[in-house]
Amino acid sequence: MNYYEIVIVGAGAAGIAAAKSAYEAGCNSILLIDRKKEMGGILLQCAHRGFGSHLTGVEYTQKLLEQFPEKIQVLLDTTVLSISPDRTVILSGVAIGFRKVSFDQLIMATGCLEITLGSLPVAGTRPEGVYTAGQVQEMVNIYHQLPQGPVVILGSGDLGLIMAKQLVLEGIEVLAMVEKKPKCGGMARNQRCLSEYNIPLICSATVTKVLGEEYLTGVKVYNFHTEEEQVIPCKSLLVAVGLCPDQTLIYGLGTLNWIHLCGNCNVVHPMVDAVILEGQKAGITAWDKIQRGN
Amino acid sequence: MKVVDTVVIGGGVLGCFVARNLMRWKISVVLLEEKNDVCMGVTKANTAIVYAGYDNQPGSLKAEMTVHGNEVFDTLCKDLEVPFLRRGSLMVGFGPQADKVMQKKFNHGIRNNVPGLRLISGKEACEMEPHLASGVTSALYAPTTGTVNPWQLGIAAYENAIQNGCDVWLKTKVIGIQKTEYGYAVETTKEFIECRAILNCAGLSADKIQELLFPPTVRLILDGSEFLVLDRHTATPEHIIFHESEEAGKGITAVPTVEGNLLLASSKRPMDGEYFSTSSKSMDRLRSIAADILPKVDLNQVIRSFGAVRPNPHWMVEKKGKLVPDGKSIGSFVIENPAPGFYSLIGIKTPGLTCADELGKYLADRTAEYLNALPNRGFNPKRQAIRAVRKMNFETRNSLVMRDPDYGDIVCQCEDISKAEILEAIRRGATSIAGVKYRVGVGMGQCQGSRCSQIISKLLEGARHELL
Ligand SMILES: Cc1cc2nc3c(=O)[nH]c(=O)nc-3n(C[C@H](O)[C@H](O)[C@H](O)COP(=O)(O)OP(=O)(O)OC[C@H]3O[C@@H](n4cnc5c(N)ncnc54)[C@H](O)[C@@H]3O)c2cc1C
Repeated sequence: MNYYEIVIVGAGAAGIAAAKSAYEAGCNSILLIDRKKEMGGILLQCAHRGFGSHLTGVEYTQKLLEQFPEKIQVLLDTTVLSISPDRTVILSGVAIGFRKVSFDQLIMATGCLEITLGSLPVAGTRPEGVYTAGQVQEMVNIYHQLPQGPVVILGSGDLGLIMAKQLVLEGIEVLAMVEKKPKCGGMARNQRCLSEYNIPLICSATVTKVLGEEYLTGVKVYNFHTEEEQVIPCKSLLVAVGLCPDQTLIYGLGTLNWIHLCGNCNVVHPMVDAVILEGQKAGITAWDKIQRGN
Repeated sequence: MKVVDTVVIGGGVLGCFVARNLMRWKISVVLLEEKNDVCMGVTKANTAIVYAGYDNQPGSLKAEMTVHGNEVFDTLCKDLEVPFLRRGSLMVGFGPQADKVMQKKFNHGIRNNVPGLRLISGKEACEMEPHLASGVTSALYAPTTGTVNPWQLGIAAYENAIQNGCDVWLKTKVIGIQKTEYGYAVETTKEFIECRAILNCAGLSADKIQELLFPPTVRLILDGSEFLVLDRHTATPEHIIFHESEEAGKGITAVPTVEGNLLLASSKRPMDGEYFSTSSKSMDRLRSIAADILPKVDLNQVIRSFGAVRPNPHWMVEKKGKLVPDGKSIGSFVIENPAPGFYSLIGIKTPGLTCADELGKYLADRTAEYLNALPNRGFNPKRQAIRAVRKMNFETRNSLVMRDPDYGDIVCQCEDISKAEILEAIRRGATSIAGVKYRVGVGMGQCQGSRCSQIISKLLEGARHELL
């Protein structure tokens, strides 16, 4: 079939919640698409606890997918390439090939992108060994590969802290977390790892320069208070300076009343519970629109 | 020991084009490159401009090659299937000093036969290019200025050379050169190569390579500059903009690339630490000038910054009994010929990319003459690019995916690049993520490879296993 009442881009927490709620509200024609091989989005690379009550991301996904309605069409390993104003999407996937699908309502649940080193005013070379924190999370938990230690982490938000803890548990030395603000950025429960594992936090400081020709050999850290610069030799740098909603697919489309944004693709949420609520709301709104004939 | 007619040292854009043009002759060639891939030196960090030719001294080889190189660039890129866009350029000034420079360049351009060159008012420039800040006092418009991706061009020439029979040794460093009865013996980290001619295109090491056998005549003094790349989705000027600042040599350049990103380039500054390292000060300057002259460009959309190294050739002079560089960067192309059959390109900076095929032909023709070589009638100047799904229309793409599902498997989401393209890049010689990036463009989007590097690593690893 090449027409669905609702097409949902992204089968992470928001997309799954949207699909379920639209189905429960009465919609029988839903297509849920994800570029990954499994449903769950970013949750799948989260081995730490703290989802729902104290589940890991993977466990939480399993719970979300319990009794997932069979009537919802799911296309995995499929990338949505573009969205056109004539209410069609173009898809490319291993199983389905290259094709166009039309719809009535579209739910964007594409999650977020990490801010990379490239967009920061950091000088120096561009060697191997510089990653975003989420990239390392995926490397470790999905591909079972570790970055080379010792490691420096730029940014002390939740993702940075979670990765610091996990790397230490994997036996990798985390030499420092470097934070621009005067104090740690993450939630209290994530901050605990700093004292538990003796991870040094350097506040009011930032990485100003990356060193190393082919491979990373160190970073220069500048302290705003002391105005001193120090070189920390390291083999990997994790950039954990923030996330931004991934709205690339709708750039230039303007506001269209048949597009509904939810989850981290709308605003970056610290907790999955809020993402689920937003997803559910999007599913219901989309279905309402269909029933009211827009 | 290997025996060939000619050894080309260095697989930058110049070495690749020298090798390609040698294939027009019945000459056996081996190209030696120290790194594990080509185009990873000076070539990897440049402004990507195909110059019109008004910057160069009238009557010079550089002027002649630039104007002619520019004229035939469409044909070259058609043969090699490399994207090339004649965006046209506006050199803009904001005061009397710049106006004077512009007048001089205009005069040079006319004498160099640069087509369509016009000196225009600031008002006209701003009408042509709404992105420009007001206050432009005069502008030099050159419709023939274009842009090409330097790695893509170099790699295309490299593949074309191989396809015509050129032998290539990667990860092979030249460490010594000796004179022999027959010609030269090149000592490498692999084995000795006996040859009759050597074409030294070793980029940043070209002076050192020549000095392996000859006394120093030219030395390279390095400086650097910085580049910022903006996301493809931001609005950019349509023209290539050269900002001629009131203080000589302090202007910036803005290039809307063939990929659709805006590339901002700083003026030169002294070396700061390692090769290809950027300096914060210079990056800050670049940003602030860009904000002044292109106020509508959203500088929050920078997705990457990188540094370039510029090799400036200096003649060696005797001072107090010692040979030292004379302190003046040589303006013309330095093509040394210290002994029969030995040529060196030393410190070919801008417009080396524009002139790559011209310089390649020049050296190849001289080598052929020296070796008394016959033309190779079987030379095929055409090279096929890797098929890119993002450039196909719906029907073509659809039928291709039906035949080979790997074309449907999108690995680089930002740039819409399929697994099939990546596998083809690996087949053609990419051995690293950078090598794949240079061949098909993965990782050049907003996420800078953070989402696809792992998958590409796996594909590279798979290919290595297959080889074993
Ligand atoms: C900042 C900047 C901007 C530029 N912008 C433009 C532009 O917009 N337009 C334009 O026309 N031109 C431009 N140029 C000029 C152009 O980039 C260069 O002329 C060109 O890339 C030089 O290529 P190359 O092959 O000489 O050097 P490289 O690319 O450095 O190649 C030399 C190769 O030799 C290898 N090598 C070195 N030593 C050895 C050894 N002992 N054994 C084996 N291999 C060895 C190196 O590994 C390297 O791969 C620019 C240059 C710079 C620096």
